[in-house]
Amino acid sequence: MQRRTFLQTLSLASLAGTIPSISFNTFANTLSGESVKDLPPLQGELTLYLGRGEGGLYEDVLNAIKKRNPEFTLKIRRGPTAALANMLLAEAKAGVSRADLFWAVDSGAIGQVANAGLAKPLPAEIMQQFSPEFRFNNWAPVSGRIRTLPYNPSKVGNKQLPKSIMELPNCDLSIAWAPAYASFQSFVTAMRLIEGEEATLQWLTAMKRKARKYAGELGVVMAVERGEADIGLANHYYTLRLKAGKPDANLQLAFTNNDAGCLVNASGVISLTENKTAVDFIRYLLTTEVQTYLANEAYEIPLAGNVVPPRGIPALDKISPPQIDLTKLADLRPTLSLIRKAGVL
Amino acid sequence: MNTWPKSYIVAALIAATALFPVGVLLSLAADSTQVFDAYNIQVLVNTVLLMLITACGAVLLGVPLAILLTYVQIPWKKFWLVLLAAPLAMPSYLGAFTFYAAFGYSGEISQLTGIETPTFEGLFGASVIMILYTYPFVLLSTRAALSSLDASQVYAARTLGMSLFKSLWHIALPRVANGIAAGALLASLYALSDFGTPAFMGLDTFTRVIYVEYNAFGLSQAAMLSLQLLVIVALVLYLESRVKGSQEPPGRHLLFWPNKKQTLLMITAIIPVILLAIVLPIGIFSLWLWRDGLGNFELAYAWHSAQASMLAAAAAMIIALPLAHASLRGKAGRLMERIVFVGFGIPGIVMGTALVYVGLQLPFLYQTLGLLVVAYLLRFLPLAIGSIRTATENLDTTTVNAARILGASPNEAFRRITLPLTMRGVIAGGALVFLEAMRELPATLLLGPTGYETLATYLWRVYEAGYFGLAAIPGLLLIFISALGLILMLTGERFNDLELNKESKAR
Repeated sequence: MQRRTFLQTLSLASLAGTIPSISFNTFANTLSGESVKDLPPLQGELTLYLGRGEGGLYEDVLNAIKKRNPEFTLKIRRGPTAALANMLLAEAKAGVSRADLFWAVDSGAIGQVANAGLAKPLPAEIMQQFSPEFRFNNWAPVSGRIRTLPYNPSKVGNKQLPKSIMELPNCDLSIAWAPAYASFQSFVTAMRLIEGEEATLQWLTAMKRKARKYAGELGVVMAVERGEADIGLANHYYTLRLKAGKPDANLQLAFTNNDAGCLVNASGVISLTENKTAVDFIRYLLTTEVQTYLANEAYEIPLAGNVVPPRGIPALDKISPPQIDLTKLADLRPTLSLIRKAGVL
Repeated sequence: MNTWPKSYIVAALIAATALFPVGVLLSLAADSTQVFDAYNIQVLVNTVLLMLITACGAVLLGVPLAILLTYVQIPWKKFWLVLLAAPLAMPSYLGAFTFYAAFGYSGEISQLTGIETPTFEGLFGASVIMILYTYPFVLLSTRAALSSLDASQVYAARTLGMSLFKSLWHIALPRVANGIAAGALLASLYALSDFGTPAFMGLDTFTRVIYVEYNAFGLSQAAMLSLQLLVIVALVLYLESRVKGSQEPPGRHLLFWPNKKQTLLMITAIIPVILLAIVLPIGIFSLWLWRDGLGNFELAYAWHSAQASMLAAAAAMIIALPLAHASLRGKAGRLMERIVFVGFGIPGIVMGTALVYVGLQLPFLYQTLGLLVVAYLLRFLPLAIGSIRTATENLDTTTVNAARILGASPNEAFRRITLPLTMRGVIAGGALVFLEAMRELPATLLLGPTGYETLATYLWRVYEAGYFGLAAIPGLLLIFISALGLILMLTGERFNDLELNKESKAR
């Protein structure tokens, strides 16, 4: 139902969406979100490079924006986030520019493009919508995600859950993971930066002996719920999405402390052109309606304005993510070669 | 005679363009930092293993089927033959995708029936898929060789007391070894250049790793890998050119009349192949269609596929003509025609990598429909040429000679005699290019204009996002297009051997 409400609010603007007024106070209360009704209509044509998003859900947001703005044409080039970041860099080097906007599921890729000087500065009032730790230079975060350890409580029983991700292969638990998945690779990059190459390689090799491989992280949480594995590695929202469809699912979330295992990453957007429409498009992504939709339907953590985060996960200040420069996560190549060296991919 | 005919100029231009991608790769690879590392060896081993297993498996599956479908009188022989040749027309990535989704712990089969099936992935999965979709090469080439074989020697051996299998093994098979080898080489070539199957199965072969490198925009590394792949392709092509079909004077035809029980047994043996290669993909896509409905599918995807392919087909028909003309004019022309065939040996992913670089240097081409059509042309022009050549080979040269004697210039003879008589080949060639381009995946993925989603790229996106149900419509449409291709092949000149034992009917 909420999905329908969102689509109607955004596309027809006839029904006012229920804007949540109660907040868990995760972020400063003073942040003010914008509503699509305050935004100017979009006009003209924009090209968006869309780093492989959560499939249909990001697609729904874009379709709703298109529907609300009939005089606006959006051309979308889709691809893996890192691939599009590299493509943007190669295009810039060759003096070819095709994209106006880049929306990616990984801050690392965004940072890579922004650091290359391709991002155009965003107006201060956009930055005002974020709490200070999410105010970045030249780019706007859209939604957050946490690395988690979904586990099956009846299978785990009273066995000890690992407190640190590095302990995981030494636990007496069977593991499910999805090493081909982009989020997993970002996470290994974080581990490589925090723990070093040697430790990461050892971790991967030890994990390989115990872990069963799945195609995506939704597959991982489904397998854990079915009891094929005791514990898995996946972004937080897969567990929440599964539980939304199956409230009595045999699934709980565990978090590690201050290591790559509870990395907080953000999807984000940059403008590659000094174009008012591009900036307005970014404002659309940060509206209360879109943020509410992403929280309610995609179970992602809303970062702009004052939107209630999805239920079922602790507030961001209750977990201890590692201190890491998210923009450094773009360096995927050494990570891939490590994963291959361990024979995991 | 000293001036070159006009068609030579066109042909030379096209031949030069066909070699161009290789040149681009060479210049790109020149800045590659790493020529060969340990991981590269692993990729080489994977690729070669996949190629060898595919070839062996295709022979093991294709040869018995060929014997069965040539010599044994089973009911509905033509029906089985068409069905067993059908996987040839289907891109193996459709099979790989549905196998990937159907089997395994959380696959469709275990969800529907509760039976746990093994996962298809890696070298094992890729090999099974490859064999299932390439054995028809061996089946058809072996069958062509078998049906021209004189059976008297087999009968003689049988009379002298040799068992049936021994006599087939020692007497029939050695004489069709070249036919088997030709089919096996085609199967290896397919295994080498396919991108979708190793990608869906997660096996690091050259094509998949080139895609990974491309995604990191390591264009020079991708170019280096592409050249290494091309070396293997060239080797297989060379071997293929060395294999000559043996021709025996036609003699008695070998025929077996099995009893009911044997017939049933043989048909039961055939059925799993058909189930896995054809019924499973259709079934899975239909299941998704029934369960998930139309999803986000837009007709625009089908239109984009058709649009780019039509442009390529039209251009191929126009361009193939001067080449055919030139090749009829003399040695140099024939050489140029052969050069154009290089494109057919270049895997789509390699062509894509080369042309992306060209596009980056020439921004007016980058991410345009034009560049995509050029890629299709360079890859599939040989199909049009091959089709035209078959038509011209069947041409009675005396008519052309007669026209020349009666005073027609070479050009007039071409325009008024050769051209009308080859028109059927031209159109068939265009249709082949069209269907092949509709299904092309990797080059379209790399070169397509922004927002220009085709059936194949939509299928790929759906796979990457994990929303498999949305693949129903593009999957079924691609199967339908493949079926059209099969019909075209069956009615075309090249697959006449599919017709049911002409000699035995004549007799």
